[in-house]
Amino acid sequence: MSSSKPTEPPPPPVKLDFVAAFLSYLIPGLGQLTQGRVRKGLLYLISLYALFFYGMYLGSFKNVYLPDYHPNEPTVNRLASDLYTRFQFVGQFPIGMAAWPAVYQYVVYDARDDGNPPLKGWMRAPSMEKINELQRDGDKTWDLGWVYTVIAGVLNVLVIYDALAGPAFREVKAAPPQGAPTP
Amino acid sequence: MNIYIHLPILIVVVSLVYSATRHDNWNKIVREALHWGVRMTTFLFVIGAILFVLSTFL
Repeated sequence: MSSSKPTEPPPPPVKLDFVAAFLSYLIPGLGQLTQGRVRKGLLYLISLYALFFYGMYLGSFKNVYLPDYHPNEPTVNRLASDLYTRFQFVGQFPIGMAAWPAVYQYVVYDARDDGNPPLKGWMRAPSMEKINELQRDGDKTWDLGWVYTVIAGVLNVLVIYDALAGPAFREVKAAPPQGAPTP
Repeated sequence: MNIYIHLPILIVVVSLVYSATRHDNWNKIVREALHWGVRMTTFLFVIGAILFVLSTFL
């Protein structure tokens, strides 16, 4: 049994770049920019932020938030219950720093601040009346908006992996055949 | 206003970003993004047509 094809050497193992992966989590494409893949980094940065903020715009900037519906429970139970209630935020969170104001609002949430909310209400959980109003009086764009923000967040998981280990299909430059003349 | 006018940005971004995570060569990225864009548009159009037919004639 012999193979007619010459055996190709396996590609070298991937060197994982955890720093770039973390940077791409913070800001989409930042890891690729630091790796010197500038065009790709800019593509990720512009595309994902465009999709994320366009989704927020469709939702009247009131569809990225983490509500505080279980304030009297222990911390872990409270967070788990609130994430279960607003499961979309699990998909929105991987977009990175752009979603951090929602976490801040969740931590400092106090219903008495409704008149003068922190960060001028940016990513603060809207009242139940406001959510009902947006969904009842709108034309589904509020829901379409959060779908866009979730897709942007989930796509950034792929971008983080691209920064960590490179693209799914690597191109390995073939080594010159032995005995070939060198320039 | 018809909400379907918001779809192009979604299709373009998903196609480009997904393709860019699979290749480093820009020719391949663009070619695969075009393929994915056509596939997604066709899929959405077919689903939309089926729903339209069901809601109109049933």
